[in-house]
Amino acid sequence: MKIRTERSTLLFNIVGYVVISILSLLCLLPFWLIISGSFSSEAEIVRDGFKIFPSEFTFSAYQSVFSNPQQIFKAYLVSISLTAVGTLLGLFFISMAGYVLSRKDFKYRNSLAFFIYFTTLFSGGMIPWYILIVKYLDWKDSYLALLVPMMIGAWNIILMKNFMKSIPESIVESAKIDGAGEFTIYSKLVLPLSTPGLATIGLFLGLAYWNDWFSANIFITTEAKYPLQFLLYKILASAAVLKTSVAANLSADFKPPTESLKMAVAIVVTGPIIFLYPFLQRYFVKGLTIGAVKG
Amino acid sequence: MKQGLTKMLSVFLMVSFMTGILAACGGGSGDDAATKAAAPKTESGKPDISKKVELNWYLVGDADKDSPQVIEKWNQMLAKDLNTTVKLNFMTWNDWQTKYNLLFASGEKIDMVFASSWSDFFKLSKQGAFLDLKDLLPTYAPETWKTVPEQDWKDVTVQGKILAVPSTYPEYTPDGIVYRDDWRQELNLPEIKDLDTMEQYYEGVKNGKKITPINGKAWNEVNTLFHYYNDFKNIGGDSGIIVAKSYDTPRDVVAYPFTDEFVTFVKRMKTWADKGFWTSSTLASQQEAGDFIKAGTGAAYWRNAPGASGFIMDVKKTNPNIKLAYFPFTHFHNYVVPNLGINNGMAIPKSAANPERSLMVLEKLRNDPEYYNLMTYGIKGRNYDFTEDGSIVSPAPGQDPAKVKGYGIASWGWRNIKNEHPAKDRWEGEAKLIEEFKAISKPDIFAPILMDYQPVKSQLAAVNQVFQQYGQPLMMGLVPDVDAAIETYRNKLKTAGVDTVLDYVTKQVATYADEKGLK
Amino acid sequence: MSGFIAELRKNKILFLMIAPVLVFFVVFSYFPMVGVYYAFTNYNFDGGLFGSPFVGMQNFKFLYESGALFSLTKNTVLYNLAFIFIGNLLQIVCAIFLSELTGKWFKKTTQSIMFLPFFISFVLVGAFVFNLFNTETGVINALLKQLGMHTYDFYMNTEPWKYIIVFFNVWKGLGYGTVIYLAAIMSISDEYHEAAKIDGANIFHRIRYITIPMLVPTFILLILLSLGGILKGQFDLFYQIIGSNGMLYETTDIIDTYVYRSLAVNFDIGMGTAAGLYQSFFGFVLIMSVNWIIKKTREDYALF
Repeated sequence: MKIRTERSTLLFNIVGYVVISILSLLCLLPFWLIISGSFSSEAEIVRDGFKIFPSEFTFSAYQSVFSNPQQIFKAYLVSISLTAVGTLLGLFFISMAGYVLSRKDFKYRNSLAFFIYFTTLFSGGMIPWYILIVKYLDWKDSYLALLVPMMIGAWNIILMKNFMKSIPESIVESAKIDGAGEFTIYSKLVLPLSTPGLATIGLFLGLAYWNDWFSANIFITTEAKYPLQFLLYKILASAAVLKTSVAANLSADFKPPTESLKMAVAIVVTGPIIFLYPFLQRYFVKGLTIGAVKG
Repeated sequence: MKQGLTKMLSVFLMVSFMTGILAACGGGSGDDAATKAAAPKTESGKPDISKKVELNWYLVGDADKDSPQVIEKWNQMLAKDLNTTVKLNFMTWNDWQTKYNLLFASGEKIDMVFASSWSDFFKLSKQGAFLDLKDLLPTYAPETWKTVPEQDWKDVTVQGKILAVPSTYPEYTPDGIVYRDDWRQELNLPEIKDLDTMEQYYEGVKNGKKITPINGKAWNEVNTLFHYYNDFKNIGGDSGIIVAKSYDTPRDVVAYPFTDEFVTFVKRMKTWADKGFWTSSTLASQQEAGDFIKAGTGAAYWRNAPGASGFIMDVKKTNPNIKLAYFPFTHFHNYVVPNLGINNGMAIPKSAANPERSLMVLEKLRNDPEYYNLMTYGIKGRNYDFTEDGSIVSPAPGQDPAKVKGYGIASWGWRNIKNEHPAKDRWEGEAKLIEEFKAISKPDIFAPILMDYQPVKSQLAAVNQVFQQYGQPLMMGLVPDVDAAIETYRNKLKTAGVDTVLDYVTKQVATYADEKGLK
Repeated sequence: MSGFIAELRKNKILFLMIAPVLVFFVVFSYFPMVGVYYAFTNYNFDGGLFGSPFVGMQNFKFLYESGALFSLTKNTVLYNLAFIFIGNLLQIVCAIFLSELTGKWFKKTTQSIMFLPFFISFVLVGAFVFNLFNTETGVINALLKQLGMHTYDFYMNTEPWKYIIVFFNVWKGLGYGTVIYLAAIMSISDEYHEAAKIDGANIFHRIRYITIPMLVPTFILLILLSLGGILKGQFDLFYQIIGSNGMLYETTDIIDTYVYRSLAVNFDIGMGTAAGLYQSFFGFVLIMSVNWIIKKTREDYALF
């Protein structure tokens, strides 16, 4: 009996390691090519495409990215602050709403879930959105335009609700009998039991804030307020426009290498956020959850 | 399901409730500016500048690293001369068209914005985005009013209203190709003069250098060649497949896929494609043909004339061993049309709070060399300096080129030939080319035709789609059977409603031609 | 109504806790939703949203009159179904392996690596695809040549592109989706597994009878969430991979790319909004019906 179990575990492990290794390789290889490309010369990329190792090693793409290091530093600061503040606030509101919706004894939970989900179906498009932010909220060129609109998303709330649904109702019930208020149950009991969910949604929120360049593109006009992503996309866009006929008369000396620049930008952007994930990973380790608390 | 319906109903009720609020707040912004336009003017006829105002301006493109300094200096001058300051906003190049359109929709108070035929000036004009400057110009911008040529004012007059101040910078921007003259000489190929010599050049470099002549995306190279070679003229901007058959027959409007010229041309392009003048994946490539010239694996690149000289100068710096030449497609029919004035210009949106003062600033900017040089070339002695003959050196001699660069923003909107200075480093062929163009210049009778596609917009959308799906591969010679592909293309166009669009455009052009007394 | 007030009184705190989110959606989603009205007007700046002339269904014409609407709808739906199902299944497989494998270092590293494609912009994905598949310098054709085989002209053949597109979409979302399932697995109580082990269940049994059933609600939820957007295509993915390559449209054209091409030269707010409204409405009807059916059969799994 014991031997059979071991054999199946062995088989599972062999298959598992092989599958995961292959998939990881498929994910790693392109990224490696990008790293290699970011250190290649422009002509080499145009001529030969992607290569495992560049034949002429150059920093020129990174020089273009960091041509104004102070600005990049500032942009990092803006991005990190926005990501941190936005993720924390967002998690708070989302988890609260998720908790309310997960309560089976809450009569309007389905209507409200519908009310929330409906927003993912229909949208009025960019113009009313822009008018709302600029004219009614007066958030043009304000960090609020980058922070608030992204904070709460219907998908995240519903996912959160789903994670919280797996918390046994008995826990909530017994706390109620002990006289705990709703907010106390949420903050003292439900939140600690929802760490995998919180980590997941937190990760998604963080990624969304970190990757968002579009809000800054349409709402921010002061260069000092640019988040990192937008600053980098701006460099890319100018590099691209300088090639077109539109800019034929633009006498700027700024002629960056566009191809290697694209890749350097990808690397610079991914750098810091990739460290967020290992940090979160401890919340995806077994044993932290219900079983542990209950026992 | 009944419960679902009530829910839906309540949502829609709520939406319509809020709609009411939005409507109440949104209305009425249209008329403000019109009444304002006639406002302050002192009795002596001199503009009243006693009130200090801050203007809100928008330009397309990026700011320069030195822009903060330049703008500060500019504002000091403006405060002294006009009791005004300007907040100059830059629309970075990312999705600039989207941002540009949003500006007008939002109702944000904007006193001046870059405007041009290539940023939808005519369409936005039709939709009522800009303020009529007719009554303001003589008072607030008298010199501009006098010096801008009559024809240029006409070009920006839409439905009887003058809606922009065009730049005054006569320019020729015909298309053509930049090619490797060093290779041509080395391989003993004839100079490019026409389609046959062009083919000989491509074939020569293809075989002699073992490269793809138009590497990367070759669509522009072929499409512009097609129009110039056949003298098909776009009507009122990019008119897609509906063109005037030649300069001399403006009323003869055709859908070119139905012409014999088209058949002859695509058959020829099929042979070019088969010979490998471009790659079979050319339509998917995102790489400019010019990049391959720099990398040594390309031999031709589409550029308009000023773009060509820019590219040639650029390559001279990065690859000094490459020698390039330019073949303008104007050589096919031996004439060229100058750009419309409104190829670049400045306009005032209807939402402007201070249109009068804004015009006064523009007047200064266009006509006062001190203002013009500062905002166009940057800070003298730093970003630029003049040589004795008045050409410009940038950055200024003595500055460290690693730290100080020439100044560059999208200043095209106020460009004025009177105050322009040529760069000291120029492509030597440029002056000759301009002389050549001047000699064969004819007025542009097609670009000023105002096309409003509103009544046929759904047919036009369908036609544009068919063009991209079936027309582009055909013109690139990438289809296995040309005759069958032409047949399919034409049928699809018919289904899309090409005849309706053609009839409509033909009528519009006829009306225009009657008005202007064209034959 | 009185029932509502009683409920409000009873669950005052719960209502207060969800109120910020509701206000948020009213302001940032429902309020701007008035913009759907653009779909029924000929927009001009003098009139604005409500002053522009009403034109009824005219803006929808370009979608159905050309006759392409059916095949576009079909393409879009099929692609999205492939993305959703293949993507989710692969993510589940990865999540299960990652939760059961023992090598800590291996697990951590591979999880991070699987997230990398998420950061690669579609522009670069497009460049990769071009570098892999183009005829002259592409990696695959270079390999074929070296092996002495015939080269294959991918850009002249429509067939392979379906698979290429699905592959890259699944590849890009792999790490992201895996996290959701991983978190769901982590919420499963250890007790179940321990009990099963004592009963002598091997690892395959435990996965089959414990892990997978516990993942089903999450799986269904994610499918349901995606259904509403079944007609909204991933524009960037298709646009960057296929570009303006008309020969490949037959199998790779979706509504978003079609609308983009139709309006690229002569953009019209009304027509753009109309296309979006069609996509939304289709998704709305679909999700309402599916949710209704699920509610009848397994109420627990319903979205609302």
